[in-house]
Amino acid sequence: MRRPKKTCPVTEAGIRFIDYKDERFLSRFVTDNGKILPSRLSGVDARHQRQLSKAIKKARYLALLPYVRSQSAQ
Amino acid sequence: MSREYEAVYIFDAALEDAAIAEKLEKHHALLGTTDPIALDHWGRRQLAYKIGSKETGYYVVARFTAEGKVLPEFERALKLDDGVVRYLISVHEHELGAPPMTEEQLAARKARDGDDDDDED
Repeated sequence: MRRPKKTCPVTEAGIRFIDYKDERFLSRFVTDNGKILPSRLSGVDARHQRQLSKAIKKARYLALLPYVRSQSAQ
Repeated sequence: MSREYEAVYIFDAALEDAAIAEKLEKHHALLGTTDPIALDHWGRRQLAYKIGSKETGYYVVARFTAEGKVLPEFERALKLDDGVVRYLISVHEHELGAPPMTEEQLAARKARDGDDDDDED
């Protein structure tokens, strides 16, 4: 049994470079708690996953994305 | 060697707009560039988490070309400025990596990837 190959959502969106300032886009790749979503769940290919994780970490430093979103605050 | 950099500043939201513009001008003077600096004012916005006691910040994105050796002094000035809550200077990303692929290359790659799939199946 082979699972159908997932297509990378970043490639599909036609994004050439992942921008750390675009927190709307980045927020698609973090969990509700603010963790980076593993590529096995999101289907992002390895190259874009590396770029994403760096972009998300930059966005966190700039307070565009939370490091953690506590469940009580929601 | 001069490079294109991108800086994001988070200013104290309590500052007047004029004061922020003045600070920007003062700091950018340290870069010693004659080229115009592209500024993008995002304005005041909610921080994703509290920084100290602050919940909002005034965001400014600047793009400039500068010599790498002037940056330490520039960063020192930013660090000492109480009005700057946070800043991030990075090499403007579009400069990095391979040149973007042309349509032909993309098509060629797509065709090749398609072949690979057939082989696996």
